[in-house]
Amino acid sequence: MAAAALARAARVDLWHTAVPMLLVPMDDDQQNHLKAYGLAYNTLKAGIKGEWLLNYKGGSFLIPDLPEVRKRAALAGVTVTPIADADLEAARSEIASSNMDSIVLEKAPTIAVYSPPKSPPWDDAVTLALNYAEIPFTNVWDEQVVAGDLPKYDWVHLFHEDFTGQFNKLYINSRGAPWFQEQVTRDQDAAKRLGFASVPALKKAVAEQVRAFVQHGGFLFAMCGATETLDLALAAHDVDIDGPFSDGTPMDPNADAKMDWSRALAFQNAHLETSPLVNAMSDIDGHQANVPSRKQPLGAFTLFSFAAKFDPVASMLVQNHRTVVPDFYGVTTSFTKATLKSADIILANEEGAPWVKYIHGDSGKGSWTFLGGHDPEDPQHAIGNPATDLSLHPNSPGYRLILNNVLFPAAKKKPLKT
Amino acid sequence: MRSNKTLAARAVLFVAIATAQLHAQDPSPLSAGYDAEQRGDWAEAAANYRKALHAGGNTAASVLGLERVFAEINHTDSLLPVLDTVIAERPKDAVFRSVQLRALRMLGRQDEERAAFERWVRDAPRDPTPYRDYARALLEEGRPQTADSILDRAQRALGSGREFLVETAQLRATMGLWDASARAWRTVVDSAPDLASSSAYALRPTPRPSRDKVRAVFLAPPVTLGARRALASVELAWGDANDAWMALSSVRPDSAAVAAWDEFGDAASAQGEWRTAHDAFAAILAVSHAPPPALARLAIRAGDAALRAGDALSALAMTNRALATGIDSGTAARVVLPLKIRALSALGRASDADFTLSAYAKFADDSSRARLTRDVAWGYVRSGDIARAKTAVAAAGLGDDRELAGWLALYAGDLGSARTALRQADAPTADLVTALALLARTRADTAAVVGRAFVDLARGDTAAAATQFVAASDVVRDAAPLLLATAARLHTARREDAEAIPLWKKVVEQYADAPEAPEADLEWGRALARGHDVQGAMSRWEHLILTYPSSALVPQARREVEAARGSATS
Repeated sequence: MAAAALARAARVDLWHTAVPMLLVPMDDDQQNHLKAYGLAYNTLKAGIKGEWLLNYKGGSFLIPDLPEVRKRAALAGVTVTPIADADLEAARSEIASSNMDSIVLEKAPTIAVYSPPKSPPWDDAVTLALNYAEIPFTNVWDEQVVAGDLPKYDWVHLFHEDFTGQFNKLYINSRGAPWFQEQVTRDQDAAKRLGFASVPALKKAVAEQVRAFVQHGGFLFAMCGATETLDLALAAHDVDIDGPFSDGTPMDPNADAKMDWSRALAFQNAHLETSPLVNAMSDIDGHQANVPSRKQPLGAFTLFSFAAKFDPVASMLVQNHRTVVPDFYGVTTSFTKATLKSADIILANEEGAPWVKYIHGDSGKGSWTFLGGHDPEDPQHAIGNPATDLSLHPNSPGYRLILNNVLFPAAKKKPLKT
Repeated sequence: MRSNKTLAARAVLFVAIATAQLHAQDPSPLSAGYDAEQRGDWAEAAANYRKALHAGGNTAASVLGLERVFAEINHTDSLLPVLDTVIAERPKDAVFRSVQLRALRMLGRQDEERAAFERWVRDAPRDPTPYRDYARALLEEGRPQTADSILDRAQRALGSGREFLVETAQLRATMGLWDASARAWRTVVDSAPDLASSSAYALRPTPRPSRDKVRAVFLAPPVTLGARRALASVELAWGDANDAWMALSSVRPDSAAVAAWDEFGDAASAQGEWRTAHDAFAAILAVSHAPPPALARLAIRAGDAALRAGDALSALAMTNRALATGIDSGTAARVVLPLKIRALSALGRASDADFTLSAYAKFADDSSRARLTRDVAWGYVRSGDIARAKTAVAAAGLGDDRELAGWLALYAGDLGSARTALRQADAPTADLVTALALLARTRADTAAVVGRAFVDLARGDTAAAATQFVAASDVVRDAAPLLLATAARLHTARREDAEAIPLWKKVVEQYADAPEAPEADLEWGRALARGHDVQGAMSRWEHLILTYPSSALVPQARREVEAARGSATS
């Protein structure tokens, strides 16, 4: 992008100059919702502020009408519409009198994705989304996290790592697979190199760093197995919850009773899966997709509606052009209601089901958001499946939820909830 | 008398009625069930199958009939009590047990399906069928891990893995364990070569980095027909026709191998891999001891494939081979002559084609002769002798052939006549589309250089044709961008990006409003990308997107940008 051109434009005080604006609609008028987030992000990155119009035309964006912005929109195939002053006034009036709000997007967050150096034979939906939307990020892994690098970033996404150190229990069926053996060797070497007795010990340390990151004001987003295992690792601070494959010792038979849920972010009072041969971690996951006798069928989940003016954070996280989204499996697909903490905010659930899909909460000075499932556009994802081609899903409502999380740390204020 | 006649009539009537009743009773419930099923009368079919079941006899056929019919009317759950009854009577019958698993699966009752499997195993502990059936079902349902555990259990229970090699092979493929799958399939096809196509189907999705390992498994000694058939099928699916034939051609040429070669030749032909198809048919010909007519037909199959691959010389050799089998003139005219004339024409040996036609003309019927004369005329065109082409057309009375006349006019540079005549052409070849586009675009009625360009194209001399099209762009100025784009496409097809780029550039820079301009931008970018100038390529594609936002090529340009960006960051 002609960053220099944008930077020059940024030096103009756009908010006090009558600058023509572009509306980036996010309802069905938008050709490419996912790249629209990239447009908003990169405009911010160049120092140009924008606005996020919550609940207005699907959560649309308002950005200055500059030649470079139009050029980027055209190249990306993002629909933008010049909005005349009168129409803008009318829009603001509608926003003021409805369950809508305007949030100034002030600064593009710096993003880190906790992801292994060599991809295993499955992909990370967040990485796919960021790449497709052309939102830059830095890959970090155990070395960087243990070295204390997380505070360098505003927003961290966790790849579907198993923070309990049990390799997602893939040893049950993939023990002989070359990629699995490579992963085990890599993690064991890393543990040794970084001074940890075992992989579980290393991953617990990483989990603690992630927790500290949030406590000190960071924004965390996690999907799939990272959600459940992060909290299990945190709660099992001093408890052996791993089977012999991971650390050579069996799980503590009284592990359940010894879990310290006060350290966890989202969950409490969950029951651990005690069998190392059952491909589940605990009863946090409602669908238990990898346990045939327990596996629940997929339905659809409904995004909740929030008072945009009083609950802008939750509102930002659920902005979408669809209210009902088809569900999708993951190592952790959903979160049983019985294991949620009372302070957790439920952003989406499946009507009539004992689980929820999408939750958010605060911890210390920061916040976390968890989304169950692996890939919104690959509901039955299996190891070895080809990566989702997001150019075929430019309007994915599921992927919008991911990108909502990327953008919300850019909000100027962190408004208080009622 | 009257009373006797009445009695007789009554007797006849009685017999007729009795016969009709007998006919009505004749069809068994099972066949009545089949008949009703064929008619789509599901209720009656179900009733008859039930009747057949109660009557005993072919219970399996009755149960299978009920399974089909209940599925049609969404009453599969009605089958379950029936199955409970028949299974109670014959607990080891694999047909009933399989139907039960299928029914439960169709009803989405996974837990009950599992329970039914467990009962089957309990009742038939030494039978591999329940494990095999259930594992296959799990694979189809996308539950490979559970299938794996079932097969593992089967091997422990029955003490041998060989019974489940096919399922194991499929399972490994589903799990992305390509090497292990290939090894399992190798063991299967070595003893059951007919399963080669199943193995190819399972291994088709092997990602590129894993293919060498799969190849190594099937190429490992000993050379068996099954392994080589399997590898050939999968190589063909991967688009590696040459490697496919290399794998298969090295088996010992016994009758089974020759049959496999024949099948392979057909498969290659179906995929348009003509050169490989020719090689397969030629190999069969080399070892075949079939009678002359069959040998001749085989030679023609090989020759036809060669001609379609652009190898007219090999095609001609095959026609000579066919004639050398000693077939009679009538058969030669029917089977060999068409290919020989087409091959000679393709080689520009129109006089030889003409001579050959004359020699066999009396054995060919009128429509064949007309078709073959056209081919001879094309042969003259390809040798650049338009005058003789016209003579051949006139001599054969093909003056009314509008398409031929149109082409001859075009080759002579008579655009006006060509414009009228070619409008009625049938076969939409690439050359015809180009010609019609040009003729619609320009108002010029004569342009010798255009004629020369199309003659070169017909002769297959694309380099010369490209040069002529460029020259024509200076003469037929209202169609200049089209002519330049045509030349550029020819250079691109010849992988001559250095020659193509200046032409694309000229279209973009000098004819920015022409319909060819977006394509020029796209192809210019692709040429630059092939030359590793990624930045240059992206600037072309971005130019296309920004300058021609309504162009149908914009999505392609965006995909090129994405791909270039992706490869730049990987």
